[in-house]
Amino acid sequence: MATIAHLPTASKGRVRPDADPIVRLDQLSKQFVDGPLALDRVSFDVPRGQLLCLIGLSGSGKSTLLRHLNGLHSPTGGSVEVLGVEVTQARRQELRELRREVGFVFQQFGLVGRLSCLENVLSGALGRLRAPRFGVLSYSTALRRQALEHLDRVGLADRAFQRADTLSGGQMQRVAIARTLMQQPTLLLADEPVASLDPESSAQVMDVLFRIVVEDRLTVICTLHQVELALGWADRIIGLRDGRSVLDRQVVDLDEAEVMDVYRRVEPEEPDHRSASTIVLDSMRERREAAAATDPVRVHP
Amino acid sequence: MTAGVLAADARLRPPLTRQRLVLRVVVVGFLIATAWAWWYVEMSLSAVFGGFGDMANLLGRMTPPRFSDLDRAITLAFETLWMAVIGTALAVVLSVPVAFGAARNTSPHPAVMALSRGFIVLTRAVPDLIFAAILVRALGIGVLPGILALGLHSIGMIAKLFADAIEQIDPTPREAVTSVGAGKWQAIATTVVPQIMPGVIATSLYRLDINLRSSTVLGIVGAGGIGFLLQQRLRSLQYDEALGIVVVIFVFITVVEFLSAAVRATLLGSERSLIGRSAPRASLGATLFRRLRPSTPNRVGVAAFDRAKVRPPMIGERRTKAAYGVLFAGLLVYALWSVRLDPLEIFTSLGEVAEISSRLVPPDFTTARDGIIEGMLQSIAVAFIATFLGAFLAFPLGLLAARNVAANRAVYAISRLFLVFLRGIPELIVAVLFVSAIGLGPIAGTFALVVGTAGFFAKLIADAVEEVDPVPREAVFATGATRLQETATSVLPQAMPALVGNLLYVLDINLRVSTVLGIVGGGGIGFLLLNSLRVLQWETTGAILLSIFVVVYAIELLAGWVRKQIL
Repeated sequence: MATIAHLPTASKGRVRPDADPIVRLDQLSKQFVDGPLALDRVSFDVPRGQLLCLIGLSGSGKSTLLRHLNGLHSPTGGSVEVLGVEVTQARRQELRELRREVGFVFQQFGLVGRLSCLENVLSGALGRLRAPRFGVLSYSTALRRQALEHLDRVGLADRAFQRADTLSGGQMQRVAIARTLMQQPTLLLADEPVASLDPESSAQVMDVLFRIVVEDRLTVICTLHQVELALGWADRIIGLRDGRSVLDRQVVDLDEAEVMDVYRRVEPEEPDHRSASTIVLDSMRERREAAAATDPVRVHP
Repeated sequence: MTAGVLAADARLRPPLTRQRLVLRVVVVGFLIATAWAWWYVEMSLSAVFGGFGDMANLLGRMTPPRFSDLDRAITLAFETLWMAVIGTALAVVLSVPVAFGAARNTSPHPAVMALSRGFIVLTRAVPDLIFAAILVRALGIGVLPGILALGLHSIGMIAKLFADAIEQIDPTPREAVTSVGAGKWQAIATTVVPQIMPGVIATSLYRLDINLRSSTVLGIVGAGGIGFLLQQRLRSLQYDEALGIVVVIFVFITVVEFLSAAVRATLLGSERSLIGRSAPRASLGATLFRRLRPSTPNRVGVAAFDRAKVRPPMIGERRTKAAYGVLFAGLLVYALWSVRLDPLEIFTSLGEVAEISSRLVPPDFTTARDGIIEGMLQSIAVAFIATFLGAFLAFPLGLLAARNVAANRAVYAISRLFLVFLRGIPELIVAVLFVSAIGLGPIAGTFALVVGTAGFFAKLIADAVEEVDPVPREAVFATGATRLQETATSVLPQAMPALVGNLLYVLDINLRVSTVLGIVGGGGIGFLLLNSLRVLQWETTGAILLSIFVVVYAIELLAGWVRKQIL
C-alpha cells in the first residue's frame, strides 16, 4: 500500500477520498496577471489526518495557496494533486466531485445574508444534488433534518430560521462551518477563519472547529494570523514569505523564535524613513491592492 | 404519518412570519390580477401566436426600409432632440423653486410644502403624451405644446429627485454658515446648492434621455417632431417608408444615449455606461491636479492685487465642467433658434396652460361614466399582462446579460447589445407599429408593452445581479455546486429585493404607459381621452384625467407599501 502511494498517480483519475497523502504540491507557482508573483515553487505533502497551519504576513500567498487546492484559482506552474486528482487538469465534473470532498471555510463567512441559517447550511448539500434549489422547502425533509443536526453541532439549532445577516460574526462563522459539515468533507480548508472576529468569538469558533475536526478525523489545512492559536492547535506549521516556503516543521520540535522569524520584515535596501502611521497606511493599501489583484471566481477549468 | 413525526417535521419548516405572509399575498395577488386581466381583454394563446403572424406579415411589407425623404426625417429627428433639450431645460428651471418648496429642510411654510408636493405628484402622474394632446387642442399644432408637455411632466420627476437630494444633504455646513451670521438663502446658496449639484446634473441628464424618447412620439398628436412623419407614412400605407423612419429614430436615440452616457461618465466620475461596463474613474490628469491643488500656496497677501491669484485656476475638473456648461448653454440657444421659439413665448404660454386647466374643472363624470370605468379597467389589465409576460422574457435575458453570471464574454456582450436594441425604440412607436399590424385594440397595446418591458426589466435585472456579493458565490461553488445551482442559491436570493422592487417599478411604469396607449389605438382609457378632446368636452377630459391620476397614484402608493413590507 505504502509503495503505491509513493508512485506518481495518474493525472486524470477519479476522486479518491482514501488517497494518502491527501495533498501533494509540487513546485506550485502562481503569477497574477499584472500582479505579484504570489506563489514561488512551493512543494509539500499533507498526510491523512494532519492538522496543518499556514502562517505568514498578509500578502505572503497563504490564501492564494488554499484556493488552488479546490480549483478556485489555477496555477501558472507546477502541479496540485488533491485526493488523487490533478486539480490543474480536472474537468468540470471531476472538479465538482473534488469540491464536494473538500470543505472550505472563508474569512468573510460567505453566507447569503438574506437566507435563513438552515438554508445556508443546506446549500452545503448542493454538490450531492443535481437540480438547482430555491427556498428551504425545495430540499428533502431528510436533508433538512441533517442540516438542523449540523446546526446543533455548532450550537445554533435555535437560530435555524433566523436570517443569517442578523447573527454576530462568530455565529455566522459557525453557520459556515455547519454548511461545510453538510458536505461531509474529507479535507477541510480554512482561510483565516477567525481573522475578522474578536478574541472571545475567535476562541469559540476555534473550539467548535477543533472538536469537529478531531471527532470526524478530518485532515485540515488552515491559514492563521495568530501564532499562539497556530501553535496550540496544529501538528505542523508551514511559514510562507513572499510566496516562498521558509519554514516547515512539526510543532513538537518548534520554538516561538523560529516562528516569529517568518514574520520578520525583509530588510529594506534603503533605511525606512516613513513614519509609523505611513507604514500602517501603506501596508493597508498593499493589502487592498493584493485583494483587488485576486482573480475572479473560477467556475470550471 | 404519526403525530410525533409531524411535530418533529414542523421544526424543519420555516415559521410563517409577517414578511413571508405579505410576500405570499403579493405574489398570489399579482397572479390573480394577471389572470383576471387575461380574461378581461380576451387575451389567448392563439391571439399571441396570431399576433406574431400578423407582425411577420407587416415586417414583410416593411422590408426593405426605404429612405426616400431622408433629409426631412433627419431634420425632424433633430427637431425632436431640440424639443427634448428645451423641454428638459424648462423643467429644470421650473423644478428648482418647486423642489426648494417641497423639501422639508428648505420649505418656507408647511402650506407651500403641501402645495409643491401636490404639484409634483400631479405632474408625474399625468403622462406627457396626455399633456401634449390637451395642449395641442388649446395652442394649436406645433413644437410649443410638445415642449410644454415635456417640461410639465418632467417636473414631477426632476423636482422630486431634487427635493430628495436637498433633504439628504449633510446639515452641519449649513449650521456652521448660519452661525457665522448668514441669512437663510445665503446659507442655502453656499452650503445646500454645492452639495446637491452632482445630483442635479445627473438627474437632468437622465431626464434628457427619457425626454428624447418621449418626444419622438409626441408628433403623433401633432406636438412636433418625427412622430408626425411616422404617423403620416403609416396612414398612407407606405410601410417601407415607415420602417425607414423607425430606423432613423432608433439610430438617433442610440447615438444620443451613448453620447449622454459618455458625458455623464466624465461629469460624474464612474457610472454604469449603456453597455454596462463601468466607465474609467477620474482621469490621471484630474487625479494629479487634485493632489497638487492643496499645495498651491494660499499666500494671497503676496500679490493681493494680482487678480489671477484670487481666481481659481482653470485646470482639470473645473475646466471640464466649465466646457460642458458652455456647451449646454450653446446647445440650448441653438435649439431655441432652430425651432424658432422665443424663450419668452414659452413662459407666456404657461399662462394659457393655467387657463386651459381651469376649463377642466369641474370634472364631469356622468356623461361618459361607463366608458371611463371600462377604459380604466382595460388600461390596468394591459399593464398587468404586459408586466407578467415581459418579466417572463426578461428574467432569462437579464441573467444572460449580467457580466458575473453570463457563461462567457460573448454571451454577455450579445445579450447586452440585444437589450440596447430592444430598448432603442420607444414603446409607443412600437405600439403604433403593432396597431398597424394587428389592428386597433388592447392586444396590440399589450404586445408593445411586453417588448418594452422585456428590454427594460432585463437591464434592471442584469444590473442588480452584477451588484451581488461574490464571497457567498465563491463559498457555494466551493461546496461543488453547479453554475445553475449556484445561481439559484446565492445569486437570486441576494438580488431578490432589487428584483421585486424593480418588478413593482415596471408595473408602475406600464400602468402609466397603458393609459396613453389608446391615443395611438392600443386600447385603454387613452382613446376616450382623445375623443373627449376632439369634441371639446373639457369637463369630461377633466374627469378622465382625474381618474388616471387616482389610479396611477394608488398603484404608486401600493407599490411603495409592498416594497417597504418585503425588503
